[in-house]
Amino acid sequence: MAANQENEIDQALILRMGQGNEEALRDFILRYQDRVYGTVAKMIGNTGPDVEDLAQQVFLRIWKAAPRHRAEAKISTWVMTVTRNLVFTFCTSRGSRREVSDVVLDEEPEELREKRGPVTERSPREDLSGKELVHAVQLACAHLPMKQRLVVHLRQHEELEFAEIGEILGISELGAKSLMFRARENLKIKLSEFFTEPS
Amino acid sequence: MKRESRGDESVEGLGPELGKLWDSAPVPKAPPWFATRTLARIRREESRVGVWFGLPRWVFIGFGAAVLAVGWLRWEREPALGDEEVFAALDAMVEEERENRWWAGL
Repeated sequence: MAANQENEIDQALILRMGQGNEEALRDFILRYQDRVYGTVAKMIGNTGPDVEDLAQQVFLRIWKAAPRHRAEAKISTWVMTVTRNLVFTFCTSRGSRREVSDVVLDEEPEELREKRGPVTERSPREDLSGKELVHAVQLACAHLPMKQRLVVHLRQHEELEFAEIGEILGISELGAKSLMFRARENLKIKLSEFFTEPS
Repeated sequence: MKRESRGDESVEGLGPELGKLWDSAPVPKAPPWFATRTLARIRREESRVGVWFGLPRWVFIGFGAAVLAVGWLRWEREPALGDEEVFAALDAMVEEERENRWWAGL
């Protein structure tokens, strides 16, 4: 019920945006900026100017498309679909996930690298500092293929249903679930390099 | 509202352990200036629409259309050269030849 109300507010904003109302655009940006910015940052693996640029492009595209928008899908689904398109195009042009991983690796603080030591000598999870743990998760996330990364983010942080995730990715609900399963397996493998899972 | 299935060790989620780990890496929030900058960029892009090389787009389109129209009209027209013009040109050639011979002392 609350989701419907939210969507009605969004629809009203989009309608006003379609008439060129900048006040509505501001409200719309404020409603979605954290979700869009967070999704882009999670997907491309940093918080630099690229994230801001891509997130701004999302709103620019929505502003341009608002006059032609038809109320067929949920606005939040539409916003996330536009975000996905831009992020996937950006990642593809940048050389896909290999470079994303490199970005994260490059950003690893020297102190952590020295402290952690070789993978084989790594201690269990309890020995990992908060920063190191966050970095391990970021690294594992960066190694996931783009679609799997987006599915995990949309499910874990945005708390979307698989049907909606499938709509955003242009796949079926079952396909989204399958991606989630594969992402989980990949994450387990990657994170097991940092600590041993309790049995 | 948080979903209860989020931490399920089924296909639905990452599982309690992985879920907890995943959540330990926070999702960045948009910086405070984001909305203002985005609005400014959208306004900038809007003002740029219809402008090529600093001039309104219709200036270039109008110029191009004019060139095409003139070219088409000239293409259609038969080259008109009257007998008088031809004879005048021949007379001029003969006269020039005569002058040249005179100057050469022939």
